[in-house]
Amino acid sequence: MDAFKSIINSLSEPQIMFSFLVLVFFFIFPPSDKLYRIHKKLRLDLLWTNVGGVFIFTGLFVFFGLGVTDENFRLIVTKPDNVPIVGLLFLTIFFLWLSMKQGRDNDIRLAEGQKPNEYHDPEDKVLVWPDLVYIELIAIVLCSILLMVWSIYLKAPLEGPANLADSPNPSKAPWYFLGLQEMLVYFDPWLAGVVLPSFIVLGLMAIPYIDSNRKGQGYYTFNERKTEISLFLFGWLLLWVFLIFVGTFLRGPNWNFFGPFEEWSLSKVVPLTNINLSELVYVRWLKTGLPDNIFLREFFGISFVVGYYLILPPLLARTILKKFYSKMGIFAFSMFVILLLTSVTLPIKMYLRWTLNLKYIVAIPEFFFNI
Amino acid sequence: MTEDAINQNPNENPESQNKPEVSPPASPVGEKTPPIEAKEKVSRRSFLTSATLAWGAFAVATAGILTGAGRFFFPNVLFEPPQTFKAGYPDEYTIGEVSERWKEKFGVWIVREKGMIYALSTVCTHLGCTPNWLGNEKKFKCPCHGSGFRSTGINFEGPAPRPLERYRIVLADDGQIFVDKTKKYQHEKGQWSDSESFIAV
Amino acid sequence: MADPKKKTMFQKIAESQFLKSIFRTGIPHTRRQRMMAVLNNVFLHLHPVRLPKHAVKVKYTWCMGGLSFFVFLVLTVTGILLMFYYRPTVEYAYGDIIDLAEQVPLGIMREIHRWGAHLMIITVWLHMFRVFMTGSYKPPREFNWVIGVLLLVLTMLLSFTGYLLPWDQLAIWAITVGSNMARATPFLGHEGPGAALLAIGDINLVHAASDVRFALLGGRFVGEATLLRFYVLHCIGFPFIIMIFMVVHFWRIRKDGGISGPT
Repeated sequence: MDAFKSIINSLSEPQIMFSFLVLVFFFIFPPSDKLYRIHKKLRLDLLWTNVGGVFIFTGLFVFFGLGVTDENFRLIVTKPDNVPIVGLLFLTIFFLWLSMKQGRDNDIRLAEGQKPNEYHDPEDKVLVWPDLVYIELIAIVLCSILLMVWSIYLKAPLEGPANLADSPNPSKAPWYFLGLQEMLVYFDPWLAGVVLPSFIVLGLMAIPYIDSNRKGQGYYTFNERKTEISLFLFGWLLLWVFLIFVGTFLRGPNWNFFGPFEEWSLSKVVPLTNINLSELVYVRWLKTGLPDNIFLREFFGISFVVGYYLILPPLLARTILKKFYSKMGIFAFSMFVILLLTSVTLPIKMYLRWTLNLKYIVAIPEFFFNI
Repeated sequence: MTEDAINQNPNENPESQNKPEVSPPASPVGEKTPPIEAKEKVSRRSFLTSATLAWGAFAVATAGILTGAGRFFFPNVLFEPPQTFKAGYPDEYTIGEVSERWKEKFGVWIVREKGMIYALSTVCTHLGCTPNWLGNEKKFKCPCHGSGFRSTGINFEGPAPRPLERYRIVLADDGQIFVDKTKKYQHEKGQWSDSESFIAV
Repeated sequence: MADPKKKTMFQKIAESQFLKSIFRTGIPHTRRQRMMAVLNNVFLHLHPVRLPKHAVKVKYTWCMGGLSFFVFLVLTVTGILLMFYYRPTVEYAYGDIIDLAEQVPLGIMREIHRWGAHLMIITVWLHMFRVFMTGSYKPPREFNWVIGVLLLVLTMLLSFTGYLLPWDQLAIWAITVGSNMARATPFLGHEGPGAALLAIGDINLVHAASDVRFALLGGRFVGEATLLRFYVLHCIGFPFIIMIFMVVHFWRIRKDGGISGPT
């Protein structure tokens, strides 16, 4: 059992788990026809059947059931403020499964030339009273019961009175912002706290104006909206919900990483000596020492960033994303590519950190300008 | 004023009846200028100018009100703890040690090295948590995101982008150390060589 | 029920003059009455009278939008009740929170409010997820999706401002960490890139007492003024704004052709 736990602990290191999830993700949610064929060949679409659902949830329940026998695991999972996130885990997976299952059913129907399951004769309508109002009443009653039971059994957390001279270790933001706090490990506050959240909000708002696919409206489907669903789920599941889990469950004192069965020890020391790109280039590779001129010093970093945002979009428009470019027009395409590239910067910085210990690509602390 | 008055002069401003000395409003322009084309040309131009002026004035006034409303969030007086304090005599601090005496009350560490005393801010340069001084490991360690600083305040690990800030520190007339938190000295700007960023002892 | 002419007690009450004056249609039996029941009621009138069949299937809608609104109402009611005891000052806030649990009957009011806030964020997220997965943001509903994103942001801001009010260690440090990001806002925060450029001679225009973080906190650090500002934003400011957007959101559902569905 202990060996099993330590295997899980080391597998849940963000480097390994994130890489694994990214790799698996595009086979489960293939964005292109090519990957979709592989997805079908591997029979991964069977996840979205009743049998698949039983399989997924048995796995989850067994993991949590066995997990809570471990003291450290129980401590994190049953912390009052963490309970909603455990709920979120189950709900997200359940509704993901539910929507994908209905999408799969509809895809099969559509392939056979039938209308989707949601389709009914437009003349054949039901009355709001009583058909809808009773469903609403039942939903409200169930929701109230849930809230009452939850409130009776779990006390709202209250720690010692506020004291600005004593930071608790670890200090965490409310759980729904822990994805942002986790990004702070890889980005400077002005990016992780201001620019990237603004991009997330604006990007979400822009979805209906970027998405020019008119199919798949008003019913669940995957096949008709592969790219949209795949990209949205990548951002939502891997770059948001996954980071929340890491930030909540796997980050302990000093914001060090701890496996789910590892004890939160204050004395765990993780070497965090990070270097900037300028130091990497001038000191390690060229062995000349840092130049005094800021712009000379940061030349490589700045040209990397400028190239990323100015050269890559037209390049993509001519190569892999050619189809999108011709379909969307220049304006929507630019928005799409900039949002896409920006969301990819997070994995890029993660991997640079994990492989090269890289802290900043551009580091100008004189002007608080670090990327 | 009676209701009859209103009925008789429905278009007139009722107040003008009470003040007969006010001349009646000028008759509309249309009655004076007979050629319709000419009238239209002139009035369109003048209309455009006056509309621009009116909208311009409206925009300026709105911007003014919004600025005022924004300014509302910045009061002129702040009720915050004092920003300056006297921290005792230099002899009270041991060479090579970080004093946590004023951490709780003023958010300042007094560090005495060989030849100098300086006051470090207890605010982590990453996201403003309060780091802890770990005497054994000789470093400040921030509990929020794991930034580490040496006793000099220089950052060496974790996400903090720059060293801790120093506060202005001078010797007062009575020989005590005087710390002034309103002025900061940042290492990355080369301000640590400033004569008031440390006391030479 | 054998004799249709004989009325039960329940029917007599339901058809009394008093109840008839409130609910004009009485107990709806016929199709027409059922339509009138929805039409004549200002609250039910949020709904259309008739719906396509898939719209009443929980499998399709997950009920998440409606539940978000319901939880919002629960939060409004419990929030008002909590306001009777809670004083937003550094001196009293923490003690009032303890009293709310120990000295006030039905001491789970704060729990309902807190867990309700968590629940609302989850339901709003899942609602967004459902709307995405059914492609319901596509024309003509693009603008309502935009409003929905704003509502999502406002929900999180409401929860965030409420997080400070207990004035415990959890609260003050979450807000300190969260609001310090504002310090790094480009141009508007005193430690953001570009802020140093906004200066006249030696005088910085953007400094610790004039930046966007100061406007949020009402001071240079989280203190008395912050508690008051967050309290006002939490109890009046954001609820006011979110209600406006909710009205627009619900109105637009109807105006954009009701619930999405296959054609």
